[in-house]
Order: sequence, then C-alpha cells, then structure tokens
Amino acid sequence: MIVPPRKRFGPLLLIAPAAILLGVFLVLPYLNIVVMSFRMPGQGTPYGPGFTLGNYGKFFSDFFYIQQVINTLWIGFLTTFICLVLGYPVAWQLARGASTFRALGYALVLSPLLVGIVIRSYGWTILLGNNGIINRTLTGWGLIDGPLPLMYNALGIIIALVHVFLPFMILPIMSAIQGIDPSLEAAARSLGASKVTSFRRITLPLSLPGIQAGCILVFVLSLSAYVTPSLIGGLRVKTMAVTVVDALIDTFQWPFGSALALMLSVTGAIFVVIFGRLTVMKWKA
Amino acid sequence: MTEVSIEKLTKDYGQGPAVNSISIRIAEGEFISLLGPSGCGKTTTLKMIAGFEDATEGAIRFDGRDVVHVPVEKRDIGMVFQNYALFPHMTVEKNLAFGLEMRKLPKGEIRTRIAKVLDMVQLTGYSERYPRQLSGGQQQRVALARALVIEPKILLLDEPLANLDAKLREEMRVFIRDLQRRVGITTVYVTHDQAEAMTMSDRVVVMFGGRIAQIGTPSDIYERPANLEVAEFVGQVNIIRGKVGNRVVSTAFGDVPVSGDFADGAELMLALRPEAVELLPINSGSTGAPAKVLSSYYSGSLVDYRLELATGAVVNVQTFPRTRFADGEQVLVHAPSDRFWPLGTVA
Repeated sequence: MIVPPRKRFGPLLLIAPAAILLGVFLVLPYLNIVVMSFRMPGQGTPYGPGFTLGNYGKFFSDFFYIQQVINTLWIGFLTTFICLVLGYPVAWQLARGASTFRALGYALVLSPLLVGIVIRSYGWTILLGNNGIINRTLTGWGLIDGPLPLMYNALGIIIALVHVFLPFMILPIMSAIQGIDPSLEAAARSLGASKVTSFRRITLPLSLPGIQAGCILVFVLSLSAYVTPSLIGGLRVKTMAVTVVDALIDTFQWPFGSALALMLSVTGAIFVVIFGRLTVMKWKA
Repeated sequence: MTEVSIEKLTKDYGQGPAVNSISIRIAEGEFISLLGPSGCGKTTTLKMIAGFEDATEGAIRFDGRDVVHVPVEKRDIGMVFQNYALFPHMTVEKNLAFGLEMRKLPKGEIRTRIAKVLDMVQLTGYSERYPRQLSGGQQQRVALARALVIEPKILLLDEPLANLDAKLREEMRVFIRDLQRRVGITTVYVTHDQAEAMTMSDRVVVMFGGRIAQIGTPSDIYERPANLEVAEFVGQVNIIRGKVGNRVVSTAFGDVPVSGDFADGAELMLALRPEAVELLPINSGSTGAPAKVLSSYYSGSLVDYRLELATGAVVNVQTFPRTRFADGEQVLVHAPSDRFWPLGTVA
C-alpha cells in the first residue's frame, strides 16, 4: 500500500516532543550510567582510565550489598501488598459508592501528594519517634513500658511509603472498576451468584488491569524512593537508593555507585516482568 | 412453567411514584411486553420482577408465592440485558456454565446442557470464543442462551434488540419469539419499540407515567386503543372529530355510527388508521369525501399520502402503490365506518 509521505511522518511528529525529552533526559543519562558502571574507580576524579568488571565483582562478592537489595525488595513487596489491601476497598467505594462523597474522597486520596516530601517525612518523625505522639500516648496510658521501635527501621519506612504511595494504587484500580459495566454484576446476581460471589468471580478479575498497574507503580516507586527512607530509616536501615546516593556523593565512587544503581534497576525490572507474566489476561485483546 | 401475578405494585423513589399501583396477571408460557416511552416505569417494573429494585408496595407472585422479599439470586429468573452483559473475561462456555455452577450441578450435566443450549441458539462450535470475538447478533444469542440454560421460572428481557441494526433486529425478533414458544417459558419483554412489542407478544401492556394505559392483544392495542395516548403511541393515527347525534357521529368522511354511551351534541374523537382509508380517482363515481393530495412519500411496498379535506383537516393515508396520485391532484377518500374507533369526547 502506498502511504502519502505526510501521513507517514504525522505520528512521528506527534510523539517527537515527548521522545526528545525522554531521549535527552532519560535514555542518554541511563546509557551514561551503564558506561560509567564499567569504568575504573578514579583517584580524585569521577573515574579513572580504562574499563573493568570490578564494580560488579564488588557487588556480588560482598553480601552486604546483596542483603541490601533483598531488604529493599522486601520493603517494596510489603509496601505494595499493604497498599493493595488498604487501597482496593477505597477504590471500590470511590468507583461505585454514592456520588455525594466522591469529590471529598478524591481530595482525601490525593492529599498525601499535596504535602511536600520533607514536611511529610518530618510529620512522620513527630508521630513515630521515640518521643513521638504515638509512643507518648501509649506510655501515658500505661499500655507499654518503653517506646516501641516505630522509626529508624523498616517498619517506619513501610508506614511512610504506604502513606504516600496509596494514591498510586487507588487511582488505577478505581478507574478499572469504573470501567466495569455494573450490569455484569447484575447479570451474575440474576444467574444465582450472591454479592460476594459476584464480586469474586466478576468484579475482582475484571479489575485486574488496575491492580496490575497499581502494583507495578507502587513497587517501582518504593524501590527507588530516596527521601523517605533516608529521613525515616536514618543511619540504621538503608535501602539501595540511599546506598547508591551515599556511594555517589559521600564516597565519590561514581563507577561503583552506577553499578549499584543498575543492579537495583535490573532486579526491580525482573520482578515487574515476572509479575506481568503471572497476571497476564488472556481475555484482553 | 410459571404464572406471574403482579398486584398493586408501586415504586416510589421519593419524588412521586415511578410505578403506580399496577396489576398484571401473566399466564404460564405467555409472552408479555411492557411498552411505553422512556420514563414510563416499564424498566423499573422489570427490575422489581427481577429483584434488582425493592417494591415500595404491592406483591409479585410466582405461582402464588410472594417473592417481594426474595433476593435476586434466589428468584430463579433468567435475564437478558440491553448491552448483553456477557462476562468479557470468560469464554462462551464459561459464561453459559456460570449459572449452572451457581446451582452446583455436576460437571457432566453442565456439559450436556451447554451443548444443548448452544445448539438451540445455533452457536455450536463457538464455545471457546471470548465475547469480544463475536458479532452483536451472536453476543445477543449467547446472552439468551445464558439466561435459558439455567431453566429459570421466567425470562426477563430488557430492550435486548436496541443495540442491533435494523435488519438483524427483525431477524432476532423472529428468533426470540420462536425460541420462547419452543421452550414455553413465561416471558416479560421491555421495549419502547411498538413494532417489536406487536410482532412478538401474546399481550402488550402499554404504560405511561407509571400507570398502565391498556393491556391487550396486539390487535386490541392497535385497533381498539383505550385512549388518545395509546392510539398515538402505537403506530400512526388520524384523529377525526365530529358531533354525536342520534348514535351517529357526523364527520368529514360522512356519518359514522358509534356504539357506547355518548350524549347527543358531544364532540367525539375517532381514531382512523392511515391504512384503513381508501383513495379513489375523483371521477370514479364512488361515494367518498373530496380531498387534495398535499404530498406523497414512496417507500417501495407502500405510499404515504398527506391529504387535505374540504374542511381543511389534514389526513394521512397509506396505500399500496398500485395507483399513484400526483401532488395537487383531487381524489376521493373513503373509510368503512367499522374502521373508526371512538377515543372519547373532546375535553
């Protein structure tokens, strides 16, 4: 088939601005990181002459770093899972509930994103610290003897991450549920299914695309979160993102930091692909 | 087979009744249509029969047993939705199996019943397809099969043909009607399309503003409408006015005898269907009122004329195109007096 030239380049022109932006500010820096990860460590310079596999060797030979990747993945899994469990009912309510509270509901869901990241994390220290509101209240009531370890550990990081990433779980699930024709549930009821069965066999599987999108978003965001883990995890619990920044800025090891960053990206991507394969939807065109 | 009896059924959402104390008795195996414009309460009535809406007042009995407080899933109904409502994530087979699994039938029985119903709707061989891989008409047949395979007490259809194109709609009318007769299931069919209601139903329930205007066979509704609203909703109609005197109405068409209690001197409205009027050449020597052709619309099998009578009244006439009359031509119009139907006095 002969396509007029103008038509052929039309779509390219439409995506060009976004493609250029991504190319200049994402793909090129990423390629730079890949190259950097094979550079020799430098003495007072960002990197030395020549190339090496040593940066990766250092990663695989030191269990400390592997353990950190595992910890970061765990924090990601738990944050994602808790967001899903807490977010799904909210998403359902927003999609199917009475319209009177919908605007208020949206505002509440989005509220964590409206607060600056540093202020938000500082707020969590006020709540979760040893001398924070929760611990003081519980001690005051005589329910606990000493302060509970709510901060400077994985628990604190997960609490804070769930709080801020919840909207990224709720919004895609909500939009998926809104896209489900309510007459499907009515049809299931007419065929003899209870409300619970109709939810389990119709609504839940049909909202899977939203669950999938929400889980991937929250998981990826959790893995790469930096400010929240560094402020709430303190010096004791470090996620990979924090360690990468330490290597780049504190100890000025650009090649090794790049290798660490890539190992985090690769493991994250592997899990996203596995998750995508597990939740593949045959019925979708 | 189930007899359905609806008694003084009312639904009020708080802004006046959407369905106002309606009563219908549906015989075993009968095909009944609820016909009316949108907002007349026909869909609300269907939803109450199905159990999706609670009745504010009144009773719905299946074989004498009041089901008003029985939830949808226990009512044993088969429902076909306007948009088919096929489960998009299930194959045809899984869609059909759904209701049978809910009834906890053994696997072998489920397989036999699905094979049987697929044969009935002429979709054998389509069991592994997903709904999006089917045409509109095929989806419609799967929806019917899914409702029928559970062998429900009654079949409820909510404007099932509204989304199909004209040709397919006519095919499906015949298909659904034949299938319903073969299965012999009591059926309630909601539509705003009078042709659909007329061709398919044993009886038609015409509804306006939450009330029943008339219940009757298609010919009752068409030839003997209960009032002006029904006459105008079901097909085209000419309203002929005339004064009553001595049990005869004098009209532009001549004197029409009327039965019924109408006082002398009252002005009466008579319904006259366009196809009941005959058109004759002006010089044919027959009896009839003179009229002038204003315009004509040829549609192949029929011609629709707009005529002006000597009184200035405009009459629509539908005839076979065997004899054609030109615009502006003088003609004679004649209608047998038994084709006039009194609709009541002019208010």
